This record gives sequence, structure tokens and C-alpha cells, in this order.
Amino acid sequence: MKFRPMCLLMAAAVAVLGAGPAAAQFKPTKPIEFMTHTGPGGGGDVFARGIAAAMEKEGLMPVRMQVVNKTGGGGATAMAYLVNEKKGDTHTIAVFTGLWFTNPIMRKEAKYTMKDLTPVVRLVLEPAMIAVKNDAPYKSLNEFIDAAKQSPGQLKQSAGSLGSRDWVVRQLLMTNTGASWAYISFPGGGERIAALLGGHVNMMVIEPQEAGEHIRAGNMRVIATVSEKRLPAFPDVPTIQEAGFNVPNVPQVRGIVAPPGIPPEAVAYWEDLFARFIKTASWQKYLSDNMFQDGYMRSAELIKFGDQFSETTREILKAGGVKVAR
Amino acid sequence: MESFGYLMQGFAVALTPYNLLWCFIGVFLGTVIGILPGLGPAATIAMLLPLTFQMNPTSAVIMLAGIYYGSKYGGSTTSILLNVPGESASVVTCFDGYQMARQGRAGAALGVSAIASFIAGTFGVVGLMLVAPPLAKFALSFSSPEYFALMCLGLAMVVLLAGKSMIKALLAMMVGLWIAGMGTDLFSEASRFTFGHAELLDGVDFVVVAIGVFALGEVLGNMEIREGARMLPVPKGLRNLLPTLQDLKDCRFAFLNGSVVGFIIGVLPGAGSTIASFISYGIEKAVSRRPEKFGTGVPEGVAAPEGANNAETGGAMVPLLTLGIPGSGTTAILLAAFILWGLRPGPLMIQDNPTLFWGLVASMYVGNVMLLVLNLPLVPLFAQILRLPAYTLYPFIFGISIVGVYSVSGSLFDTWMLALFGLLGYAMRRLEYPSAPLILGFVLGDIMERALRQSLMMSQGDLTILVARPMSATMLFLAVLILLAPLFRKADALRVKAIAEGS
Repeated sequence: MKFRPMCLLMAAAVAVLGAGPAAAQFKPTKPIEFMTHTGPGGGGDVFARGIAAAMEKEGLMPVRMQVVNKTGGGGATAMAYLVNEKKGDTHTIAVFTGLWFTNPIMRKEAKYTMKDLTPVVRLVLEPAMIAVKNDAPYKSLNEFIDAAKQSPGQLKQSAGSLGSRDWVVRQLLMTNTGASWAYISFPGGGERIAALLGGHVNMMVIEPQEAGEHIRAGNMRVIATVSEKRLPAFPDVPTIQEAGFNVPNVPQVRGIVAPPGIPPEAVAYWEDLFARFIKTASWQKYLSDNMFQDGYMRSAELIKFGDQFSETTREILKAGGVKVAR
Repeated sequence: MESFGYLMQGFAVALTPYNLLWCFIGVFLGTVIGILPGLGPAATIAMLLPLTFQMNPTSAVIMLAGIYYGSKYGGSTTSILLNVPGESASVVTCFDGYQMARQGRAGAALGVSAIASFIAGTFGVVGLMLVAPPLAKFALSFSSPEYFALMCLGLAMVVLLAGKSMIKALLAMMVGLWIAGMGTDLFSEASRFTFGHAELLDGVDFVVVAIGVFALGEVLGNMEIREGARMLPVPKGLRNLLPTLQDLKDCRFAFLNGSVVGFIIGVLPGAGSTIASFISYGIEKAVSRRPEKFGTGVPEGVAAPEGANNAETGGAMVPLLTLGIPGSGTTAILLAAFILWGLRPGPLMIQDNPTLFWGLVASMYVGNVMLLVLNLPLVPLFAQILRLPAYTLYPFIFGISIVGVYSVSGSLFDTWMLALFGLLGYAMRRLEYPSAPLILGFVLGDIMERALRQSLMMSQGDLTILVARPMSATMLFLAVLILLAPLFRKADALRVKAIAEGS
């Protein structure tokens, strides 16, 4: 492999020039085990492999990152593995998603929470859009809510499971407006879109990248954005708040977490590495291709964010009648 | 013909030496991972994805698609030789394929399977090329009530898989439905039958059940009857290892049946290739002139499901390429790949990238030929595996079963589950319960329950939604017909007997 010496050289340069003295104390010496709770091809897995490939391409790390899949229990198996088998291991990191916060709240089978692990960095925020079929009568979120109020329970949303972001958005809008509509769960994103395009449901929460193509083909219309601010690709679509609904924003997050009990130098190393990583061209392209937003946050902030995120989610779940385990 | 011109351009793309090489690498890798149980095409494509970032997207998609349809070719190998389903879709191939192998006809079974795969795989590509857009519309018209009816139709096949005792078959099917219900309920987020184990929150993996019940159950059973002393007969000479003309004649209808059923079910985003192979096996048996021979090793019982799971890949590409909607784990990761390559998957992708689409279609024709050429000569080679004495073969089957299951989840818990299902399979053999209905119930149970509950949520609890729609009503009617068929046959037998006694 001819890029190896290059990698080492760059890593050495980084160690000398870049990071402060604290970070220099830890440097990985063997391949990193990079864990994800989804199987090959799942959201977290594609994310992890994307990062590993970009790291290699940009030559940011002296060692390779090996993606490992620990599936099961909606992330619970992966979390238990980090606590029980990897405690104090500085050469293991994992991708976390919002599920790592919400799953332990909902299930008593999940033995550990994010508090048992070492949050490292938050990386992305994934915005979403509220979409209807192109021939639907609703031109705005207000019109959809009005229609739902007129015939309570008659309109339908195709979506994921209870507690997912789709569900949270619906829950918040329903409590805020008094409207109500049916929530029909589908396990796969493809099936949700098929149900909307086939005219079997009236509305769905969709990822902007997917929505873009269906809008271009004239099959779909988006009526609101689920994020802090409008998306560059959809400058005319207001956020839920701009549309006049006073509901909190519950972002979809992804980031990096490490096993419990790792030294602060290791945390600092990962924080700095990812701080450099998010500035690379590969990563910027990844974000724009997927229409994700940069959500970089260091460990201390992430811990605070996590507490708040768990608290909000717990309240929304309870208000929505879901049994909370802890 | 406009598409003919495009297709020629496609061949111009696919036949460049560079793309031919990638196509070959893809189908070769596909065959290999198809043969290995456990690790499936979705996992392989995900792992290779980062390597394709440097390639041009057309070559990359040609290779990754090659892995996808190539794995369907390879999947039948271990089903036939060892009763170990290599992919979930090839579990149905075990029914007759393994029986053929036990009679020393492993080569014929492998040959029939390769030819069926080729015919149906090519049919799937023709379908993808000619009728993709209208068929995508048809797929969208399928809503939850139709999926429920389709699953009922599939479940009615239990009548055809029953063997000696219908009661035992129904019980086995119920157990399958129960296992399918384990894990988290999608609608209420309640845990069902997890017994406090977080590992069971996602339910039981298909590979664990299929390999446990089929492969381990079979090995345990054989060990007990000490059949091991006797080796399976493997005829000498290449000619005796290939299917005879009579075999191919018997399979004429199966080739067509597998192709059509596989393709149509493949187009539906919520169904899948395992269901396609079950239904095509059922149809084959229902129309056969010798239904009583099914399950004892008839070539058409191999050709129909193998054809169906290969035609399914062509079908599954339809919603992916024309709508940007993935219908299975493998197509979902192909979709992710399209995004990473900077293509915009969706309804306009074919229009935006005609070279990519037609290059892919042409490469699938080429790839199917490559697979046939690659697989047929391997038939005699693979058939030699059965020459291994039992004390080598059985540990070998245990080994690849355990590795296969572990490779899917990386969890030892699943290996214990495999042992459990192995014992279940053994017990079922001892007590003469057929295992096919269990797998049938397990495969269909989840989708069936979901579709029913989705339908009732859509209609606010009104059951008439299931029969008010013409397509679902038709399928439900067919399901009832199939279920009642044994009664008609019994009545007919009584009538014949009465006439005979009367005269």
C-alpha cells in the first residue's frame, strides 16, 4: 500500500504541529474497532463505513478503522458490549444515534444508558421534511392541520415505529393544535414512500435527499421543514416554527461514543481528530450529498445535550401514552 | 424501437474490457458468498462499498449488482448438498434439492438449479427492461390489504407442504408464526416473548431458524440412525452428474412459473424473495401431475423456487431504479451507494443517467451468461463434497452452520439460539412434524401481521377493507380455494369409492 508512509507522515506532522500537549499523550497504536448497532447496509453502518473511508482517504489517522456490526435490541446489544467487554479500551469507538438515548427509556431489557458510556462528539443533525402527494389538496402545514381537525382520525401518516422522530413530530403537532390523525407504522423507509405515492396515506416525514428527487419528478410536495432553519435546497419551505406552530425541535443526531472508563487524553484525541475531520472536503461533500447539517459538539457539551434530549423525549413519550421503563 | 437502440448503447458500455472485468468480479464474489451460509449479499455490498468510491459509478453498480444476483446462484449449492440454506431465499430449494442429493442426483439438482437461475435471471432482466415503468405503478397500487391477502395466499400453501398429517403441519406452522412474533411489536413498541433478553428485541434471525431446523436437525437425525457408515452415492463421470433431458423436460413449466412469479413478487417493495420461492413452489406443486412426489426429490421442485429467487432480483431493481424505493435490505444498500456516488436515485434517475441504467441492464444479461458458464463446470466439483465420510462431513456442516450464524450478528447468543433450533429440528424429525410449514409461518408471519394491522388502522377497524378491494379479494378467494382443495379431493375419493362399490 503506497499511501501508508504518507499517512504516517501526515499523522506525525499533525502530532507535532496540530494538537496541544494533552492530545499528544494518546495516539492509537493498533487498528480501531469502529462499532455500529445496525447490520451491514443499515443507516449507522453506512455512516460508519463512510467515515472510515474518508479518514483513510484524508490520511488523518495512523491506523485503520475496522467497522464491526453488533446488532440486536435496537442498540442495546452494542451498548452492553461496550460496557461489559470494552471497558477502558481506548481503541474502540462506536456510532450512536438518537435511538441510543430513546431505546433505554422505553425498554427494560436494555440494561445500560448513554450515561454508562463516554460520549465523545456529536457529528451531524439530520433535518427532515413533511411531505404530501403532489395532488393532495393541502398546500401548507396549516391546511393539513385544518383538514385533520375537520375529520379527526381520518387522515393517515406513513411512518416508522413509536418513539421515532416521525412519531415525535406528529405527537408535538397534535398536542399543540388539537388535531389528530392516524399513525401507520412501516418497517422500511421504502414502504413508507410507496404508501404515500400510491395514495394509501396522506402525509409522511421524509429525508430531504429522498424528497428532492420525488419533487423534481412531480410526485410529491413538501409543506414544512423539521429543523432549526430552512434548508439551502428548499429555500421556500418554512420550518414548522415559521409555519406558526410553537413546538420544540427534536433533532435526529449521530455522533461518536466510546466505552466507559477511558482516560481524558483519549477523549481529547478523538475530539481533536473529529474537529479536523469535519473540515475535510470528503466530509463536507458527504454532508451536502445527504443534506445533513454539521452538528459538531465536544464531549462536555454532548453530555449536557444528551441529558436534555433524554428528558424531552421522556416527556413526549409519557404524554403520548408510551410506557417508560426508566 | 427506442429501447433497442439504448440497449445496444448499454452493451457498448457493458462489453468494454474494464466493465466486463468488474462484472465478472461481482458475479464471482456473489457466487462465493451465496455458497457460504450466513453472510449475504447485503453485508458483502456494504463492506465493499467504500472501495467503490474511486470507481466510476457505472462500473461500480455493475459489480455490486453482480454480487446481488450472483449470490442467488450460489445460494442453492449448500441447500442441495448439505440441507444448509446458503441464503434465506434458498430454503425452499432444500425441500427437493437435498432429497435429490440423497438419491445420488446432487449433480442433476445443481445443474437444474443453475439452468433455472439462468433462465429466470434473464427473464427478470427482460422484464426490468421492457415493463419497468408500468410495473412500478402496479407496485404502488399494492397497499396493506393486498399484502395481507398475498401473505394469506402464501400461508395457504401449508396444505401443499403438509406431508402425511395436516394437523402436524398446522401445528408446525403455528410455531413458525409464534417465532415470527418474537421481538418488538412495531405498532405498540411492546416486547413480545423476549424473556428479558435484549438480544431478542429484534426478533429471531431467519438464518438462525432455517439453518438450525434444517441443517442441524438433519445432521442430528442422521447421526442417530447411524446412516453415517453409508456414504451418499455420487455417480462417476461427468455425464451422470448433469441433469438429463427428461429432468429438463419435467422442469419446462417450472422455469416459466419461477420466472414470472419471482419477477412479479420482486417488484412489490414489501414482499421478498423467500416468499417468491415459496409461492412458486406451491404453484408448481398445485398444477403438477405428480404432486405426491414433491418433497421426495423432483427436479421441478428445485427449478421453480430457484428460478423465482433469481427472477426476483430483476423485479427488485424495478422500484429501485424507477422510483428510488428499495424493497429489500440489499436494494436499500444499493440505494445508499447511489447517493454516495453522487447519483440522485429517484423517479428521474433513468432519464438523467441512461448510460448507467442501460449499461446495468446489459451487464445483467452478460453476468447471467457468466454465471451459467461459471456454475455448470463447478457442479461436478461440488458434488464431490458428498464423497466425504460422515465423520468429516457432519462436523463440517456444524462448523459452517455456526460460522454462518455468527457472521450475521457477531453475537454468541445467536449461536446458542442455533443450538436450540437444531434441537427443535431434531425433535420435529423424531416426532414426524414437517419443518417446511414452520419456516413458511416464520417467513410470512411478520409481514402478514403487520399488513393486517396496517389495514385495520387505515379503515379504523373495519374488516371489510380486506375484501372491498378487488385485488385483495381475488387473492383471498384463491387462498380459500387452496385451503379447501384437500376436502374436494377427499370428497372426490369418497365418490369414486362409492361408485366402485355400487357397481
